[in-house]
Amino acid sequence: MDGTLQALLHGFEIALLPMNLLWGAIGVTLGTAVGVLPGVGPALTVAMLLPLTVKLSPVGALIMFAGIYYGAMFGGSTTTILLNTPGESASIATALEGNKMAKRGQAGPALATSAIGSFIAGTIATLLVTLLAPLVVEIALKFGPAEYFALMVFAFTTVAAVLGASTVRGLSSLFVGLLLGLVGIDGQTGQPRFAFGVPELLDGVDVVVLAVGLFAVGEALYVGAYASRIPEVMDRISGSLWMSRSDWKRSWPAWLRGTAIGFPFGSIPAGGAEIPTFLSYAVEKKLTRHPGEFGHGAIEGVAGPEAANNASVTGALVPLLTLGIPTSATAAILLAAFQNYGIQPGPMLFQMQADLVWGLIASLYVGNVMLLVLNLPMIGIWVKVLTIPQPLLYGGILVFATLGAYSLHESVVDLATLYVFGLLGFAMRRWDIPVAPAVIGLILGPLAETQFRRALSISQGDPSVFYQHPISASLFAFTALLIVVPWVVRRVNRARAA
Amino acid sequence: MSRNASARRSRAEVALSIGVLLLGVGTAVGTALLPSQGGYARIGPNFMPGVAGAGLILLGLWLLYEVLTGGWRNMPPQEAAARGEHAFHLPAFAWVSSGLFAHMALIQSGGFVLAGAVLFACVARGFGSPRFVRDLAIGFSIALAVFAFFVLVLSVNLPAGWLAPLFRLAGIE
Repeated sequence: MDGTLQALLHGFEIALLPMNLLWGAIGVTLGTAVGVLPGVGPALTVAMLLPLTVKLSPVGALIMFAGIYYGAMFGGSTTTILLNTPGESASIATALEGNKMAKRGQAGPALATSAIGSFIAGTIATLLVTLLAPLVVEIALKFGPAEYFALMVFAFTTVAAVLGASTVRGLSSLFVGLLLGLVGIDGQTGQPRFAFGVPELLDGVDVVVLAVGLFAVGEALYVGAYASRIPEVMDRISGSLWMSRSDWKRSWPAWLRGTAIGFPFGSIPAGGAEIPTFLSYAVEKKLTRHPGEFGHGAIEGVAGPEAANNASVTGALVPLLTLGIPTSATAAILLAAFQNYGIQPGPMLFQMQADLVWGLIASLYVGNVMLLVLNLPMIGIWVKVLTIPQPLLYGGILVFATLGAYSLHESVVDLATLYVFGLLGFAMRRWDIPVAPAVIGLILGPLAETQFRRALSISQGDPSVFYQHPISASLFAFTALLIVVPWVVRRVNRARAA
Repeated sequence: MSRNASARRSRAEVALSIGVLLLGVGTAVGTALLPSQGGYARIGPNFMPGVAGAGLILLGLWLLYEVLTGGWRNMPPQEAAARGEHAFHLPAFAWVSSGLFAHMALIQSGGFVLAGAVLFACVARGFGSPRFVRDLAIGFSIALAVFAFFVLVLSVNLPAGWLAPLFRLAGIE
């Protein structure tokens, strides 16, 4: 415990260096400015801003990324509330009540409860990350390759098969990602796989190209083809920007409940802030003393899900930092950013590069405060960003998207790949195939393969390692239950109804 | 759902399902060409590709099964109006795509700024902006600002292309 406090204090010394504060502030501001653009979610924001950090030191770059991550979340909430266009599935619950509030002329309090709720949830969740991460590291140090592999299979299953509208479409997306992850030189034997003799493919498919292609190019093709001829309606901010006494009274229990619901979901490698936000919405709807307002703009319905979203996103840093397992598209891109610096997150990171880890965790506290003091007063400016007409907005998005892909290797091949992924993203959006499993499959697939082969190397090819180790066996059993139980429940219900 | 829309929907679903299936078959063929020497692990670099290929084949068959038994499950409405959108607008799709192709063709020769300006204007045109020349100018200024920022502040080189002499005069290099 003392060790954690010491490490955290040292982290603050790093995070509060003037240069690092500056990177944090730039990150928060840029993240908000880009995240507020309609159609640009946090994953795309982080992917597009990745090239900006190439020349920074690892610590500075990661601190800037933490800022971008939080800024993008805040910017996304603003757009969701004012335009009713949730940039990601975790914002849908916010849109339910938030946009109704905006329509009733209460956009100010809706934005305020979302910002302050995110701050409170983010801070509590960061505190929990601080306390929990060293404990998880203790456990993770005892993990062998078999346990890691089991854990990754668990993460794949929840992300692809359990969440979302359709198991088969989620799994298809995951397997396409896994296949893309295989492209390039096999790390263990040097054997090129699926590179078709194209030298650019030997390095593998870059997660930035995939994410930007699916999210930015796919989105531009989709919105252009299906929604570019629809006039946009934006709700103006009228009346007070600040929350009234009763708004406060109704918001704070919802913030705390949202945090309590969101954090556990983020910190187990189960992926997605979508379930906790909807859970929080349902809880607030049940507990409210103003049931008549739900569906017409109840402030609890914004406060709870926003807190749950932020707590879950922050909680997702526990598996990312301690185990190296990303559970959302955004976390997958953060992992890619780590890898660009030759940093492989995992329990060893806490021992080998303690400065970096604790500097990053400390900067999360700082980033949260910055978000509140920089962004709340600047809401007016962010709202102006929303009034950029659609043609110019998407023109700009694609200029930055192509920049992100091109600057990786200064290669036209990356631009061509970007367009192919754009077509794929268009089709996936149109026929409701989730995108996040593909991104996670691409980055987590090669790691899972490495652990799998390592486990079998140690056991001399005996597959029983996976079920003879108690931890990996129980993880596999749990994963199987996760698939089988909902299926059985559905069957039984159907049989009962018939 | 009208009969027309429903037929269109199932055609797209058949095509996508077969696409997944073929991707799986292609992967399986590619896997067969990979060596299998495995060392201690007894499995080689062809093991995971085999898993991915087999998975994609099974998923493709599962998707086809869903098409044949009433279509993919839990789908958003096929009619654009029910999704709050309009029907597929080919010119928009084509303009955005052409912008990206022009960008690919131009970036090495013409340079980042010119390629960016053309891309910007084409995309804006696709989204219904009637003022192509004004959009070219806006795209040019944005791309120029990004170029200057990358070259001067981040010291990351982007291709200067045909405008290189001008940039040199302006001190951006």
